[in-house]
Amino acid sequence: MFSDRQPRAFLDPAVLARLAGVPLLSRRPMVGNVSGRHASPHRGSSVEFAEYRKYVPGDDLRRLDWRAFGRSDRYYVKEYEADTNLRLCLVLDTSGSMAYGSTGPVAGDSQPLTKIDYARRICGPLAYLASQQGDAVGVSCAAEEIVRTLPPRRSPAHLRLVFDVLEEARPQGTTGLPEVLHELAETVRQRALVVVVSDLFVPTEDLAGAFGHLKFRRHDVAVFHLLDPQEIGFQFQRPTRFLDLEGGGAIFADPVEIADRYHTAVNAYLEAIRQLVLESGIDYRRVLTDEPYEQVLARFLVGRAAGRGLR
Amino acid sequence: MTFLQPWVLAALPLIGLPLIIHLINQRRFQTVPWAATMFLAAAKALSSGYSRLRHWLIMLLRMLAVAGVILAIGRPLSRGWLALAGGARPDTAVVILDRSPSMQARDPAAPGTKLATGRRQLADSLETLAPSRCLYLGGGDRPVEIPPAALDDLPEAGPAAAAADIPGMLQAAYDHIRENAAGTAEVWICSDGRANDWAIEEGGWAGLRDAFAKLPQQVRFQLLAFDDPVPGNLAVRVTEARLERRAGTRELLVSVAVSRVDAAGAAGGEEAATVPIRFEIDGVTTVVDLELSGRETILANHPLPLGRGEAVRGWGRVSIPADPCAADNEFYFVFDEPAPRVTMVVADEAAVERVLRLVASIPPSKERVARGELVPASGLATAPWDEAAALLWQGPLPAGRDAELVEAFLARGGQVIFFPPEAGGGTTFAGVSWGDWLDFKEPQQPEQWRPDADLLANTVAGNALPVGELEVRRVRGLNGEVVPLASLPDGSPLVTRLPDGRGVYFCTTLPRPQDSTLASEGIVLYALVQRAIERGLEPLAGARQVAAGPEASLLTAGEQGEGRWRRLAGPSEPVSAEGGLHAGVYAREGRLVAVNRPLAEDTAGILATERIDGLFRGLSYTRITGQAGQSDSIVQEIWRAFLIAMLLALVGEGLLSLPRRRMTSRPPAAPLGAAA
Repeated sequence: MFSDRQPRAFLDPAVLARLAGVPLLSRRPMVGNVSGRHASPHRGSSVEFAEYRKYVPGDDLRRLDWRAFGRSDRYYVKEYEADTNLRLCLVLDTSGSMAYGSTGPVAGDSQPLTKIDYARRICGPLAYLASQQGDAVGVSCAAEEIVRTLPPRRSPAHLRLVFDVLEEARPQGTTGLPEVLHELAETVRQRALVVVVSDLFVPTEDLAGAFGHLKFRRHDVAVFHLLDPQEIGFQFQRPTRFLDLEGGGAIFADPVEIADRYHTAVNAYLEAIRQLVLESGIDYRRVLTDEPYEQVLARFLVGRAAGRGLR
Repeated sequence: MTFLQPWVLAALPLIGLPLIIHLINQRRFQTVPWAATMFLAAAKALSSGYSRLRHWLIMLLRMLAVAGVILAIGRPLSRGWLALAGGARPDTAVVILDRSPSMQARDPAAPGTKLATGRRQLADSLETLAPSRCLYLGGGDRPVEIPPAALDDLPEAGPAAAAADIPGMLQAAYDHIRENAAGTAEVWICSDGRANDWAIEEGGWAGLRDAFAKLPQQVRFQLLAFDDPVPGNLAVRVTEARLERRAGTRELLVSVAVSRVDAAGAAGGEEAATVPIRFEIDGVTTVVDLELSGRETILANHPLPLGRGEAVRGWGRVSIPADPCAADNEFYFVFDEPAPRVTMVVADEAAVERVLRLVASIPPSKERVARGELVPASGLATAPWDEAAALLWQGPLPAGRDAELVEAFLARGGQVIFFPPEAGGGTTFAGVSWGDWLDFKEPQQPEQWRPDADLLANTVAGNALPVGELEVRRVRGLNGEVVPLASLPDGSPLVTRLPDGRGVYFCTTLPRPQDSTLASEGIVLYALVQRAIERGLEPLAGARQVAAGPEASLLTAGEQGEGRWRRLAGPSEPVSAEGGLHAGVYAREGRLVAVNRPLAEDTAGILATERIDGLFRGLSYTRITGQAGQSDSIVQEIWRAFLIAMLLALVGEGLLSLPRRRMTSRPPAAPLGAAA
């Protein structure tokens, strides 16, 4: 499929092969334009029975359930679920904070695995899997605003563009994720599966508004919350000058001295996120970047397939 | 504070080392790109005041620890209660010791006199300070170099009967420091602050202070003051011992004064008490109980029979029981038949000669024999110089051979009163010559004279001589340096003396009616002449009472050499070989001298602290209050205290630096979605 291109660093064929067995499903009915694997709000011609409806003149007589007529002497029309495709909107946080990474270096590279690297490993397979099952895939890179966006399309050529966008995404600037999500909620007209991959280093109250907006537009929202282990553990010993990756200047601190208060702040933040998830019903996945992304994706896909997404 | 190794203090800037290390650490921080600055900012905002205080405390304790090490290596010294005076080890230490009798007072509850305590403390201190040179001044004119430890055993630092001449010793110290260009000098003075020892009223202190202040080298003064009074002290003194013949026997009439003065010199209590007074003469002891009342009680003319022997010269001792100050519990006296009162009169004017001879011939009591011998100017060589007590000279001042005879007479202790010649008088004697006559239109009466000392002093009863009632019509001026004893309203001197202390007096008018009423109002002239005769008799007397000090030194070490004097009685403890400083009875060629403490030792009070401190105003000066019998050293090495302080600082720093209890579990990092 991509034989004329260099292999993408964030795509591992073996991982893709293992994940291909689990479909990417939406938890909400999708309004697609072609037949697909996802439930549609409309009745269609799938093999899955939906309901009986009284016959009205004009209905196709081929759908009349004669057996029901024989039993009840009434005319009923047998309706089936309509399967359609979905629109997968990948929202990749490309703010400066995504450039942080402290876990082991990426294979074949001396640089540590940053959150943006990890995000590519999340978004790439999802895009591939969605495309393979005939869904439309689009991507939006979000920093202070939408840096780059590709609307969902179903063609394999479009998937290549999506991969290009993922590969070329560079973390920089401040985070304007809530504003970006508001904008997407307004611009993505039809229902879509919106997958946000971000470190969510924004005020939780702003996030609540953005997620609420997406839900209001009947989008299925899934969030991969990427956190580096060092951001949680804060394991520093020497006095350190922390240089804000989002250009907010530097903060000098003795980590030993402020570790307790740092952890207190982190705990408060995570608790607020937990409350947000519980209230908004989004599919939330907290991910530490030292976890294998394959497990994260498998858990995500299996969870959705089983209809057990967190609400 | 003094340090034995002050050069170590050059390392004191190292106190800032922890601060510098801290700043270097701050400069050596690691820079980390960081994403979760929102948590970091929140943590910084939560930073409490205690945390900052803890940081500063740790820094302070580290600096204190470094300071403690440096100061301990510098070997700091503590100077008793006043450990605040700055300074390093002196190059020269000069010890000025007040050995006066009052320094032999002791605290009944503690062993050792003030002198012994001060001496030992100074020895200990100097041994600790270890100056390059240690000089001792205990009464001599020049300091003596001694090993510091020897001060405690030095005979010349032992008790003396003489008053201390603190300003004189300071002057000697100054001369030595200036002449030898000594480096940093430290003058240690040990004294009980008695007014007579410090002579604060005599002037000269200001000049001395200025002189020290102008020295190029630094001079520090340390006063070890034993100025606490020791109550309950009694002092006994013989005020008079005279022979009388009654019914063929001879009696010695001794007048004794017992002062209820504490060792500090202040007036003692008024409560009645009985003191046994013990008289010892030729091994015979008599005890008389004296009822004390008031500050001073006098036992007047107490008769002591001497028997019918031929010997008329002798000595004795009066003592009282032991009390806090042993030095004033006994007094020596000598007695002898009084010498004849021979006065030589040299006069140009017959009228003057008659008056002077008359005045000189009248004895003060009928038992005494007085004789005024007219000596013609040409017969001076054959005059009775050896037996005369005084010379009354009216005429041009002596010159040439005559002046030599008069000088020899003065050197022997004779007294001379010069009266002005009517004419002439161009000669000079001892730097003084007669000036011109000054006639007054109206008789002048003296307005100022010295009633406290010398020939015109008040009587023993305290009554003033009627000097102000004299009328003076003519005086003759004087050229040269003299000390006026009485002056007329216009400032003209009436009676003067030479400032060198010899018995040379000048009366600027004549006892003639046209000149003054000296003759008609004869009391003043009589007292003047008789007092001069009395003074002149002292060297001629077979027995003399002198106060310990310079006068006794001159007498006992006199022109015949000190080896000729023999000590007949005195304190039992060993004394130094210094002549005239120790109480006792001395004999030479049949003459007796009783040496006792000066009268001021019994009467002078202790100077107020601020008055003594004021003497050293502008100089580097520290006062340390001592106490008799005190065993503490006034200078101690206290490096241990600094080491302990350093250790405490390190322990405190360690406790504060302990890492606070870290969170045992990381914040919930498990994937929330997965857990759900």
